[in-house]
Amino acid sequence: MLGSASFRPEPGRRRRGTGAAVPVPVVALAVLGAAFFALPLLGLLQQAAWSEVVRDLGSPEVRAALRLSLECSLWATALATVLGVPVAWVLARGQFRGRSLLRALVLLPMVLPPVVGGVALLAAFGRTNGLVGPWLFDTFGIQFTFSKTGVVLAETFVAMPFLVLTVEGGWRALDARYEDAAATLGAGRWTTFRRVTLRLLGPSLAAGAALAWARALGEFGATITFAGNVEGRTRTTPLAVYLLLETHPGAALALSLVLLAVSVVVLVALRDRWFGVRR
Amino acid sequence: MTTGRPSRAAGRSRTLVGVTVALTVAFAAAVVAVRTGVPATGSAAGAAVPIAAERRTLTVSAATSLTQAFTRIGARFERRNPGVTVAFNFGPSSTLATQVQAGAPADVFAAADPSSMDRLVAGGQVTTTPVPFARNRMGIAVKPGNPGRITGVADLATAGTVSLCGPSVPCGAYAAGVLRTAGVTIPEARITRGTDARTTLGAVARGDAVAAIVYATDIAAAGRAVEAVAIPAAGNVVAVYPIAPVAGGDRRLARSFVDVVTGPTGQRILAGLGFLPA
Repeated sequence: MLGSASFRPEPGRRRRGTGAAVPVPVVALAVLGAAFFALPLLGLLQQAAWSEVVRDLGSPEVRAALRLSLECSLWATALATVLGVPVAWVLARGQFRGRSLLRALVLLPMVLPPVVGGVALLAAFGRTNGLVGPWLFDTFGIQFTFSKTGVVLAETFVAMPFLVLTVEGGWRALDARYEDAAATLGAGRWTTFRRVTLRLLGPSLAAGAALAWARALGEFGATITFAGNVEGRTRTTPLAVYLLLETHPGAALALSLVLLAVSVVVLVALRDRWFGVRR
Repeated sequence: MTTGRPSRAAGRSRTLVGVTVALTVAFAAAVVAVRTGVPATGSAAGAAVPIAAERRTLTVSAATSLTQAFTRIGARFERRNPGVTVAFNFGPSSTLATQVQAGAPADVFAAADPSSMDRLVAGGQVTTTPVPFARNRMGIAVKPGNPGRITGVADLATAGTVSLCGPSVPCGAYAAGVLRTAGVTIPEARITRGTDARTTLGAVARGDAVAAIVYATDIAAAGRAVEAVAIPAAGNVVAVYPIAPVAGGDRRLARSFVDVVTGPTGQRILAGLGFLPA
């Protein structure tokens, strides 16, 4: 998907002039700001006894948590993509009243404390006192609480806004004339979507999915509240970190480092794409 | 967008930024000065505490199960000591102890088990002998109407998902003790772990867990959200709550707070919420 970046209009071409240089005090504040983020990371790295980290990563508890996290976060990313891209499409191209209301609704989980999100999910999908949970269980035998499906749902809930926001931004930045041109040249709606829209959208879609995945991987509050904290079933890496912190601090640290490494890789790979495409 | 040279506007905003930076640096310096003025917990005793006289906030780190009792005691304490604000930091005892060890500025520590307190005594963060001030029992919380028909600890072996505190949190250790005494083993795949007594209970009150083993006082405090199934004294575990001032904190104020907790006022409030006398 990233290979199609040549379709993207050069961001540099749109810039007008170079602007004045950044004032020195701003640079000083920016350095402070950067240090604020760097120090906790340095602290984490400094605490790690590397030989133990390698050993702790091999323990069955840690591996089970990592495997579960990987599985659930990938499912959550897939679900967020399937449901999020249409929402982004509607938000970017739809003309209707209440669009900003819809956007606020979709973005709500970004600002909601995840624990509140978990309580809300329980109120909707809880088996005993949820809004639709009892019906889902009686009719289809689906139970979200204490199950992997519940973890996927909780992670999707908190991660999907990142995808929607990024893809909507990409859609808005997309030059509709390319699509018009394709239509003029005889391409059908599906062909235009597949060969033009989707290609142009590629980078923001990839960025949105990566961000959503990273967010899903780090999810704690909604997961423990809604899906519970059952070993091997809903105890994802962040939950394991919390439990291991006092019994096996080394293992907790090792898991934290894995989460950290993944996040850094995702963000570095994205570089400016998240914001860049919205220019 | 800006076509002309933005000279004056930029100059003004630069001044503004300069002022902001100056203020930030001054604030940071003040923070650093205050931080270094307070001796780190566990450092040599007798170091001067220059701001002690102006300090009007008493920080109390207390086990989550004490939330209601201590909030009430705190209100009484504030009324008796005008100008003093009691700030509570409620959480699992083990986490609170870790925070204090990492230098969190607490004046008083009240734990739900002696082991968290012992850790601070061993580490030198608590230098006076901790005083036991209350005891608690464990109980089984079930949904209203007891749909799982739980009558005792033995039923938990075959019930659905059971909510317990994390094994390193005191209420998790006590629950493990209750299960061990009863000879009941619940497979890990049917246990969901809460971060403290309240969230553990929440899995029953709001969620789909069939039962939880938490403090009897927490079950009582949850009101009609859950129902209690008592665990007979013979198979129960008694939780002992110790309290002590933290070294490096406001010792005089901390001492008088401990006195209120162990005194008649505190004991009456604790008893009213279902705690047993120490």
